[in-house]
Amino acid sequence: MKKIIINSLFVSVISLLVISCQKDYGNLNGPTEENFLTDPTADNLNNLVTGIESGMRTNIGLYLDDVGTIGRENYRFSPSEPRYITDLLGADSSTLTNSNFYITNTWASRYRVVKNCNLLIEATPNAKLVSATDKAGYIGFGQTLKAYELLLCLNQTDTNGIRLDVSNPNALGPIYSVTQALDSIQEMLNLGQASLTGGTVSFPLSSGFNGFSDAAGLLQFNRALAARVDLYRQDWTNALSDVSASFYSLYGDLYLGVYSVFGTGSGDQVNPAYIPQKQTGEVRVANPSYAQDILPGDDRISKATLRPTATSQGLSSDRDVWVYTSNTAPMGIIRNEELILIYAEANIQLNNFSQAVTALNVIREKHNLPDYSGALTQSALINEMLYERRYSLFFEGHRWIDVRRYNMLNTLPLDRPSDNVWSEFPLPVSEPAN
Amino acid sequence: MRKLKLVPVFLFFIASVPFISKAQLKPITGVVLDVKNHPVSGASILIVGKPQGTTSDDAGKFRLNNVAENSSLVISFAGYRTQVYKWDGSPDIKIELIEDIARLDEVVVTGLSTSIKRRNLANAVSTINATQLNGVAPSQTFDQALNGKIVGATITSSTGAPGGGLTVKLRGVTSVYGNTQPLYVLDGVFVDNTSTSAGLNFVTGAAAGGSLVSTQDNPSGRISDINAEDIANVEILKGASAAAIYGSRAAGGVVIITTKKGRVGKTQVTFSQDLGFIKVGKLLGVRQFTAQTAASLAGSDTVTGAKYALMFTNAKNNGQLYDYEKEIYGNTGFARNSLISVSGGNDRTTFYLSAGSKDEGGIVKNTGYRNTSLRFNVDHHITDDIKIGISTNYLNTSANRGLSGNDNAGVTLGIALSSTPDFVQLHPDANGVYPNNPFAASNPLQTLALMQNNETVNRFITGLGIEAVFQRSEKSVTKFVAGGGLDFYSLQTKVLFPGQLQFQAVNNGTSIQGSTNNLNSNFILSLVNSHTASKNLILTSSAGFTQENGNYNNILNAATHLISGQSNIDQAGAITATQFRSQFQNQGIYAQEEASIIDAVTATIGVRFDRSTNNGDVTKFYTYPKAGLSWNLTHSGLMDPQGFFSNFKLRAAYGEANNTPAYGSKFTAMNVANIDGLTGAIIGLQKGNPDIEPERQAEFETGMDFSVLNGKLSFELTYYKKNIYNFLMLTNPPSSSGFTSQWFNAGDLRNQGVELGLNARPVTTKNFVWNTTVNFWLNRSLVTRLVTPSVPQGSFGYVLGSYQIQQGQSATQILGLDGPNGVVKLGDVEPMFQMNSYNEITYQNKWSLRFLLHWKNGGQNVNLTALQNDFGQTAADFDQLIINPQTQTPIPLGYYRLSQVGYSAQQFVENSGYVKLREIGLYYTVSTSSNGVIKGLQLGVSMTNFFVWTKYSSYDPEVSNFGTGFNTNIDVDPYPATKRADFHLSVTF
Repeated sequence: MKKIIINSLFVSVISLLVISCQKDYGNLNGPTEENFLTDPTADNLNNLVTGIESGMRTNIGLYLDDVGTIGRENYRFSPSEPRYITDLLGADSSTLTNSNFYITNTWASRYRVVKNCNLLIEATPNAKLVSATDKAGYIGFGQTLKAYELLLCLNQTDTNGIRLDVSNPNALGPIYSVTQALDSIQEMLNLGQASLTGGTVSFPLSSGFNGFSDAAGLLQFNRALAARVDLYRQDWTNALSDVSASFYSLYGDLYLGVYSVFGTGSGDQVNPAYIPQKQTGEVRVANPSYAQDILPGDDRISKATLRPTATSQGLSSDRDVWVYTSNTAPMGIIRNEELILIYAEANIQLNNFSQAVTALNVIREKHNLPDYSGALTQSALINEMLYERRYSLFFEGHRWIDVRRYNMLNTLPLDRPSDNVWSEFPLPVSEPAN
Repeated sequence: MRKLKLVPVFLFFIASVPFISKAQLKPITGVVLDVKNHPVSGASILIVGKPQGTTSDDAGKFRLNNVAENSSLVISFAGYRTQVYKWDGSPDIKIELIEDIARLDEVVVTGLSTSIKRRNLANAVSTINATQLNGVAPSQTFDQALNGKIVGATITSSTGAPGGGLTVKLRGVTSVYGNTQPLYVLDGVFVDNTSTSAGLNFVTGAAAGGSLVSTQDNPSGRISDINAEDIANVEILKGASAAAIYGSRAAGGVVIITTKKGRVGKTQVTFSQDLGFIKVGKLLGVRQFTAQTAASLAGSDTVTGAKYALMFTNAKNNGQLYDYEKEIYGNTGFARNSLISVSGGNDRTTFYLSAGSKDEGGIVKNTGYRNTSLRFNVDHHITDDIKIGISTNYLNTSANRGLSGNDNAGVTLGIALSSTPDFVQLHPDANGVYPNNPFAASNPLQTLALMQNNETVNRFITGLGIEAVFQRSEKSVTKFVAGGGLDFYSLQTKVLFPGQLQFQAVNNGTSIQGSTNNLNSNFILSLVNSHTASKNLILTSSAGFTQENGNYNNILNAATHLISGQSNIDQAGAITATQFRSQFQNQGIYAQEEASIIDAVTATIGVRFDRSTNNGDVTKFYTYPKAGLSWNLTHSGLMDPQGFFSNFKLRAAYGEANNTPAYGSKFTAMNVANIDGLTGAIIGLQKGNPDIEPERQAEFETGMDFSVLNGKLSFELTYYKKNIYNFLMLTNPPSSSGFTSQWFNAGDLRNQGVELGLNARPVTTKNFVWNTTVNFWLNRSLVTRLVTPSVPQGSFGYVLGSYQIQQGQSATQILGLDGPNGVVKLGDVEPMFQMNSYNEITYQNKWSLRFLLHWKNGGQNVNLTALQNDFGQTAADFDQLIINPQTQTPIPLGYYRLSQVGYSAQQFVENSGYVKLREIGLYYTVSTSSNGVIKGLQLGVSMTNFFVWTKYSSYDPEVSNFGTGFNTNIDVDPYPATKRADFHLSVTF
């Protein structure tokens, strides 16, 4: 009995000595979400803005390969990743699977940026030392980029829809249908427009926003994106007004616009869509139809340069995709060439053929083609417009969405007899249905 | 500070040690023999109640001075029953030891400061002795030495590369994404077994997202550093019922490693030398091309096809068709391993000193492993009642591990090989310039010649133990037992891909340098009282406090655009820097009471309170009880030991233990995301869970042990049931939340299994003795509760076969597409059962043949190596014609398999059963005079993994390329497994 008492005494003494001081080490590897939400400084908000810009680039190369491959713009040959040319091209009986990288990775990367936008929108009102107009600037930027990222998700999943209300990770909103989602994205852009109108931009932006880094510039960028959404919503009238409120310039530089830029600095990213020419093994080549269908003299052939033939799995091509010509080449978010084509398309749909032809001819002239001489009918002009979009916006993520908009997926070439053309990606497996 | 406060208390205890009077003293001499009158050398002879003792020499003789008449001597030797001899004062005594086939007298550690004889143990505790660990054949690393030897374990290998990388799972998966590996305790020090990536993912892109590291980088676990030659024995506490007293980190089981100690007697110097070679275990073979099949590589492009056909014809005419697989994996690595040890001591102090050096080549050129180890163990009796023990170990290891495994950039040797046909020319020209490989992103010959991937470790492990008796009476002895130590290592990783490599065209040279410092420390302070209440009842009470600290700091920098020929990270045009730190402190309080009734019934109850800084609530103590009961029917007199059963024991044990959450589970961190010189913050992909709790394991185990035929045949039968409550799972929240993972206490899991063991001596003649051990074990798991949605995990989705935790299903099931049936269960990693058999046959006490057989029946892997080879159209059987079961038309096998991708994953989920003769060794002991300079000489030869029977089609069925966690057994072009043969020489002076 005595021993038991001694033992217990001993244990209690030691326990008291040591246990009184249990620590909590906290997170040793960086700030936490709470650090940014409670009483953020302007620096904190600026960090979030930069995080949004930086995060937009993650998996953007994969996104371009996804939509480019299905849209028969390119093949991505990778000795270690067969699914680029099995699943995406619908080879034999393969299908797009909801647990595979081509949808899970792109979706997650886009929604990560959406989360950062939501954080920025949530944190901004808590910033005590930031002026009201500066706050409007942050929020306008957040709304605009959030809408853009959601649009990229919707481009992939289309009629399967997307989730819109994701600000509370513990109570996510429902999946919206494609129509509802497009309406909401447009609404989000309008909210961004409202914030930016009268707001000021006190935060730094990368050189990708050169010329658009103030409130007026961001407003133009916001409207350019709105014009793209108008097209998808077939809201042709608003497309025209949004184009005119953007940085659209009919005779201006086709490459004027807002870009994602890349760099080799620490924590920065290099352009994931860049592969040097004439590589072996890991290659990205143009779909053979790109060179077959191009009009003689069209200088856009330079976007697919000749190479020794690359082959894989019964597919072959002798042209590299050559849109991004270095690992720090910028990647367009939206640029003037697209705006001119939006202007053309809206006018075709509104039967303003002469304005449409003028715009199309601007593009044709810049690309060393003679003026349009085809029929002045809506269907002929739509075909012409789609041709220009295909070559002007090659490997910038448009063709698949364009032919889908016009129910022309069946016009895409099947490179192997047993291939299939997909109209949309399934929702990732982690997304429970409503 | 805390420890200092103990010193006065401690000194007071020392001062109060009672004076013990001396009786009349005389010298004693004797000899220790076995039943066949062969001398037993190395037996320990101790005097009860005294620190005095010695060991028998090669002739079995011993001498002790100053022994009191009527002293009791305890004579023990591994493999023999311990004997107590009451000395009547006669000068020459003869002691006959009886062999203990069931090892009933072996002392097994059961508490943090208490131990018990196997005869009274309530659990099935596996013990691996030095001969089994290391005496059949040498292993490169400690983890490899364990393989096939642990009953109840499933062991997989993340790579065959030099320097190890094994994952040990005891009695099934004990966690889903928490730590599934056991805790390693080396002489009382909790040693670290972290796998630290060298940043290969930066180059291979194996896991997407641009991270520098991934679980697919196949680094070695740091337990591999330990020098197996220094180990005296290894005990394995397989689940919570035995390991509960280790608390916070014991849920995966505990591996208790005891290193060699000095023995009383003349100083003995032993030198041993191994020389051997290492070769690839198996090659897959390559496709034999023809002009026609070469052309078919170009698909429908006939122009290129004609070019390939010409390339083939030229290569064939010039005799330049190459088997590149053989060229790359066909190197013979030479191995040498030297160890010198000095051990000895007197009745107060014993010591063991060893120095070892190992240098082993790999099956790929420029890969290999070096290990230098220095150990010094001292045990000293300060007084008759106070003893201290110190074990110190310095280790320096270096592993060149090559580049293998999964990859999305076409750069690892295996992935590059998979699309490289035999007619392409990859050898360097006269100037040493390698041509580009037109069929892959890299030229593997160039890669292996120029690259570096090195892990270098400098490590100190020091343990200290103190045992002080401060109260002693006729009925009661009270001891203060304290122990602890530290494990510090500095790990330098160096990865270099020079700019001239084919795949460095963009980055123009990549150098990734990592520096990791890790300090683990732990201590225990405890009191142990043993109270002899009556002749038939002994109570042992113990209580104490434990604390463990860990501090890990990893800095990893990747530099690209190198100045030619340079590897320093500042000699570069661009750099990406990362740092990861983690720190934890676990504290526990425990108390245990053990009652031994007539040395036949042993009952134990204990409780432990634990908390950890990794838990959501850092101040909360979690309670873990344990209890055990063993009843030896023969000892208790219920059965006659001279009858059919010479020993019969029933036992049952229950215990709970936990597994703390991973560091950082509770935080939602912001990550750095920069652009264009601006500093940015983006939400981390892991959502914090502030309510995260440790997972709790409750294990019940019961069994019976019995011996028949006078102890010649003994059986150990065990059934266990392990419930894991609130298992930690890295769940996948809907990624539209912005997060892709979150730690969650996601459900409950159950493992059930049986373990059957048989020890026997089938043959005993004057010249021949054959000892054999046969074990059988199996485990079945079941997910009994899952609160999160069930999604595929850890591999490549249903198309290629994926793991998935589902309620009502096995935790290790593999799901995948199966044609019209959709997604179905295609397999399970869990084998049907496993068996092993260890045998030792001795002839005339001079020859000894030892071998270890291991049979794993069933269990599936996700084998994607074959897919890679089909996809690259280089599989050896690509052209073999079969009848397509769907269309009933002939089709080359390679094309058929490719046509199944996206339709059925059957072909990837492959049975990975095997029978391996893991180790076989033949040793000869040369007779020497015990008076000469050389006291012992042993020669031997051994072979490891030379005989493997398996239908598994890739390099090795034990493969697991995706890290050490739960989602194992995925096979993507690993560094192939190896076999080795060695010659041994051991001399004792």
